[in-house]
Amino acid sequence: MAQDLKSPTSARPDIHETKPRPLRHPSWWIGGAALSLFVVLFIRLLVTNENLHWDIVAQYLFSPEILAGLGRTLLLTFVAMIIGLAIGVVLAIMRLSKNPVFQTASWAWIWFFRGVPPLVQLIFWYNLALLIPTVSIGVPFGPELWSASMNSLITPFSAAVLGLALTESAYAAEMIRAGIQAINVGQTEAAATLGMTRSQTLRRIVLPQALKIVIPPIGNDTISMLKFTSLVSVLALPDLLYSAQMIYSRTYQTIPLLIVATIWYLVLSTILTLIEHYIEHRLNDGRPLELSLILSSLFRIKFGAPRTEVSK
Amino acid sequence: MSTTMPLLNVERLSKSFGTHQVLNKIDMSVKLGDVTCIVGPSGSGKSTLLRCLNYLEVPDSGVVFLDGDPVGMRWHGNTLRQMSFNELAAQRQRMGMVFQSFNLFPHKTALENIVEAPIIVQRRKKSEAVAEGMALLDKVGLRERAHYYPRQLSGGQQQRVAIARSLAMKPAVMLFDEPTSALDPELVGEVLAVMRQLAEDGMTMVVVTHEMSFARDVADHLIFMDGGVIVEAGPPKDVLSNPQHTRTKAFLARLL
Ligand SMILES: Nc1ncnc2c1ncn2[C@@H]1O[C@H](COP(=O)(O)OP(=O)(O)OP(=O)(O)O)[C@@H](O)[C@H]1O
Ligand SMILES: [Mg+2]
Repeated sequence: MAQDLKSPTSARPDIHETKPRPLRHPSWWIGGAALSLFVVLFIRLLVTNENLHWDIVAQYLFSPEILAGLGRTLLLTFVAMIIGLAIGVVLAIMRLSKNPVFQTASWAWIWFFRGVPPLVQLIFWYNLALLIPTVSIGVPFGPELWSASMNSLITPFSAAVLGLALTESAYAAEMIRAGIQAINVGQTEAAATLGMTRSQTLRRIVLPQALKIVIPPIGNDTISMLKFTSLVSVLALPDLLYSAQMIYSRTYQTIPLLIVATIWYLVLSTILTLIEHYIEHRLNDGRPLELSLILSSLFRIKFGAPRTEVSK
Repeated sequence: MSTTMPLLNVERLSKSFGTHQVLNKIDMSVKLGDVTCIVGPSGSGKSTLLRCLNYLEVPDSGVVFLDGDPVGMRWHGNTLRQMSFNELAAQRQRMGMVFQSFNLFPHKTALENIVEAPIIVQRRKKSEAVAEGMALLDKVGLRERAHYYPRQLSGGQQQRVAIARSLAMKPAVMLFDEPTSALDPELVGEVLAVMRQLAEDGMTMVVVTHEMSFARDVADHLIFMDGGVIVEAGPPKDVLSNPQHTRTKAFLARLL
């Protein structure tokens, strides 16, 4: 380069014409080659290993039993997320209220449901009838309006929804609280000077802004929830995983059916990620997103910009 | 309302933060249609006074009367009790406020910022609120920016939208807390021009400002504050050209 500068301008290549070429370190080549080799070996294993039985994978991938399980997994994910988020919003507002009773109750709830593993909760809720045999709604110390035995209320599905939604509510509450706290006090003050009440300010000004901050973590939680739902197989609830397990307990095709489940979990989490990025993008600048952008954002890994030099 | 009774009346207003007394028995009054400018060194309590006027800051003692009604409080026999937040919200509709940092709602366009409170708080018809909102945008010279988001607007434009947003509630008085202090020098003029126009239209205004030329030209009444008290007050020409107190003289000398 230094020579270039000394030589007459006519001898120097026109730097405005040339495109900077990325500078690659030897490790870029060596590391890349080694990794590529591993990838090839891995793919070869996937293709040639007899025990994988791709024919059986293909046979069961769209079987009615698996698809029904898939539907239950999706339903469980969304019902648990929606209930969890709804409780989370209430908990977050309680946590930020000036009333110490609300604050403490919310704190205790979050402390409990964040601390107890979801698997323990699932089993606990499923066996709730052992603790409380009947539930009734009525005037306290007065007439009973409605009652039912706990055994008829707690099905594997309702136990699963309870366990998953309550765990989610604790995490959602903390996320939403942080989102609300991130909103500048100037926003609430501006709303107050316009004569808005506290609930109008919360609904119209604070929550919409907080929600936007909270969208990415909610997306992450939804994907985690999708995977957490596989815990419900302990309740013999035929979700995606348990459906696969039921099939391989009959056919002994354990690995191929686990692969079927894996494929579906990957497909669903990919779709959820795409939806999340789409929403996030829409919130950021309001305009619709091109597919290519969503796809590239799926693998949003950013390396530092490569160093460049002017090539001759 | 009789012309002799002031629109705003402040009686022995005091406020401390911890042990620091920020306002010390302030008395002042603002007549209908008057522009009052408050000047003074940093930390003298100007913002705190303004925020006590609409109860954003709760005074330790003293009362602000708006058109005869105590702000943030209501009579209980012969004593005053704090009112509920919803009652206070209703009262605040009569006092607009413009902040140094604009505080526009970032998730709403300029027009949406303006029509939000009329629709949500005053339950006005949407078409009506939008028509009035557009008229207000016209007034502040931003009709063609109606559908821009705050981040797509310059500071001066944002502050003009903020003024229009307050005006949309048809307040009896407008409070301004250093409305041009966050702006680049070349954007100050457009905001002051809107405020001058507002004063000419007869709006009652209380303006905390460092813009001495605005205070001299527009104010009917100038208040100089220092250390939580009103040191000197009167017509701006008198206070600015013939200050009586050494503290006023020192403050003005530093500005020139
Ligand atoms: N929320 C608060 N908590 C504690 N102290 C405060 C609070 N708000 C204001 N103060 C203090 O009260 C004093 C007066 O503040 P204020 O903002 O009213 O001054 P100001 O005259 O508006 O000054 P400036 O010209 O810098 O805006 C300052 O010393 C400030 O530090
Ligand atoms: Mg101030």
